[in-house]
Amino acid sequence: MTSTRQFLALLGMNLTDLLRRLAPALTIVIGFSCAVGVLVAMLAMGVGARRQVMSDARADRVVLWSNGAQSAGESKIPTSATTAIADLPYLRRGADGQALALSEALIILRARTKSDHRQLYVPLYGVTSTLTEVIPEFHLVAGRTYRSGLREVIASRLCERQFSSFEVGDHRFIHGSDWTIVGLFQQGHSQATCIMYADAGSILSAFGRTSYNQVMVMLQSPEQYAAFASAAKSNPTLHIDAAPEPAVVEREFKQLNGILDFASYFVGTILGIGATLGAVSSLYAIVDSRRRELATLRAIGFAARAIVAATLVEAIVLALLGALVGGSLAWALFDGFSVRPLSTSFQMSVTPALLVLGCIWALGMGLLGGLLPALSAARVPVSDAIRAT
Amino acid sequence: MKYLPLIWSGIWRKPGRAVLMFLQVTVAVGLFGVLQGLKSGVEHAVAATRADLLVVRSREPFSDPLPVAWLQQIQAVPGVKLAFAQDEFDASYQSPTQHIDVNVLPANASWAAIGPELSVSRSAITAFSHTRTGALVGESLVKKYGWKIGDRIPLHSGTAQADGSTNWTFDMVGTFTYKAPLAQDNFIVVQYEYYDEARLAGRGTVADFPVVVRDPRHAEEVADAIDRRFANSAHETKTESLREMAQSLMEQIGNLDFAIRSIVSAALVALLFSTTTMAMLTIRQRTPELAVLKTVGFTDPAIFLVVCVEALAVYVVAAFCGLALAILAFPWANRFVPGLTMPPMVIVAGLAGAMVIGLLSASLPAVRAARLEVANALADR
Repeated sequence: MTSTRQFLALLGMNLTDLLRRLAPALTIVIGFSCAVGVLVAMLAMGVGARRQVMSDARADRVVLWSNGAQSAGESKIPTSATTAIADLPYLRRGADGQALALSEALIILRARTKSDHRQLYVPLYGVTSTLTEVIPEFHLVAGRTYRSGLREVIASRLCERQFSSFEVGDHRFIHGSDWTIVGLFQQGHSQATCIMYADAGSILSAFGRTSYNQVMVMLQSPEQYAAFASAAKSNPTLHIDAAPEPAVVEREFKQLNGILDFASYFVGTILGIGATLGAVSSLYAIVDSRRRELATLRAIGFAARAIVAATLVEAIVLALLGALVGGSLAWALFDGFSVRPLSTSFQMSVTPALLVLGCIWALGMGLLGGLLPALSAARVPVSDAIRAT
Repeated sequence: MKYLPLIWSGIWRKPGRAVLMFLQVTVAVGLFGVLQGLKSGVEHAVAATRADLLVVRSREPFSDPLPVAWLQQIQAVPGVKLAFAQDEFDASYQSPTQHIDVNVLPANASWAAIGPELSVSRSAITAFSHTRTGALVGESLVKKYGWKIGDRIPLHSGTAQADGSTNWTFDMVGTFTYKAPLAQDNFIVVQYEYYDEARLAGRGTVADFPVVVRDPRHAEEVADAIDRRFANSAHETKTESLREMAQSLMEQIGNLDFAIRSIVSAALVALLFSTTTMAMLTIRQRTPELAVLKTVGFTDPAIFLVVCVEALAVYVVAAFCGLALAILAFPWANRFVPGLTMPPMVIVAGLAGAMVIGLLSASLPAVRAARLEVANALADR
């Protein structure tokens, strides 16, 4: 009990004392602000990108690729297979009794960014007539939709914002002929990528194709996925693999996110080590300049463990303060900040979970950095108090 | 010279503090080395990519294969030294995560003359030309999977065979190494003639035609001439050099500068603040000593110099260590971006930066030390 009271008294003393030793205290706070701020900001990229790509993925929407394909580009589903796909069980059906299956042929085009004329690749999907039923979050925001059989294209709003010649009425030269942008659309909350749609028939005939890249289907309910997948797998005329849309999005995102997370923790750790070293030397300096005081405390009967605890907590308080400053800065500067890698765009998102993570990070480092100075504070010999002049 | 012992003992006055400061500078400079090295390393690698090796692809890449018969027309374009057809498909070995790129090249092996970056033995080429299901395996895959010549390599692919099967089996007939900037030899080469006949769809087409030009200075004109030849055809082409393709690939990733600059500045701000504070503190504690030095005849500039050189010495040695660590860590980064080396410019910049920060953080305390009034300083005691 007494050592708790001693600890509290010491802690109060240490903290008020910090105002006198502003420079070393600020060193610790600034060190941890930088480390936590950078870590949180970098992780916020991954969190923001994930939020964006996952926001529109639905568990009752299933993506079909040809057997063994690892991407839509690699997958080939013959146009002749679409009737068999539409006959699969558990599919949701439209008002006319037609199965909600959307066949998509993927074409990669080049586009130039408005800002710095970089050349990026953007996808154009030739889609069948069920577009608005299978992707209900799709809605037009300008112009009109494409007419089947014509060389007309609609583009997502982001294409128009990010790339040149994507206004309604603009002409694009695709595969040796002239195509017209007739409308702009938005798809769900995500403004994440630039994509284009055109009539599947027009695309297949223009490119001389006899296969789609993927088929998306709507199930009556997400629980039927397993039954549907085995029905699709066991159909001998179809050579396709099924996966729920969230799983496909997650898989595609994982690789990018792996690199991002690695970079964040790598840089965060190095900055954290730097901050911890700074904290150690500052705390040593603080302890050093209080030798007489500490020796006196020991002489009048303060327990060594109370002194250790008080110094440790002091380190942690400063580290947490730094984490709060760094986290708040990251939030103020980068929450909602738009990043545009590739032909996508997403907003960085500094979530409470990230801030908590930053605090835990700082807590660990602060504890580590405080340990040695705290022990040395408790070991100041009592004789120092007497010897000092 | 006579100051050396003084400086040396000044540095080791508080060994713990000196070591901590040293480590802090090492960490910050090491981080700078890794990040800046990565960025400049990529820029150097892009600049080192061949500009005389062109690739003829459709204007809509990846989604529009070209007729293989176009090869003759491309070879006929003036300035073309070597041209060949190339296709590719993705496959996996044993599990879907063990991804393998399969490069499909003609049996006549005209492509073997592409340049010094490709090294493959004559006997391997002969075996490849004579074995329909033969495969040449890149050295990194040989290391990874321990395959030997004569092994059968079963692959699974999204590209189907004529009978609908998605399993492909090749016979390993030789190995090769391919050492070019930003490239790895983690792929296998199989015969176009065999692949084209065996596949279900897309017969008679290729993904692209690599072209080596006779004179690198005329690469752009040759590229334009090729594209003009196929203008208004069913498949318009876009011919780019490997260097242009590498540049646009880097552009796809976006602007790394901002991120790297922010991170490095955050590290430097924290470092500068921390070391300046420490140096100020040290000077305050050393006031009596410095006063004694002045009493025995050290001039103000001499004191200033001693304090600055002390800090600089720690900074420079620590910067060397940090950069050495960064260089040691560099081969590791090659897992993400193959073929990178640390540009010497980054090392120079790291040392110069460390010296500037060292001077900045030492100058304030040094000025204070130089201006010290002997009487006051000694009176404090």
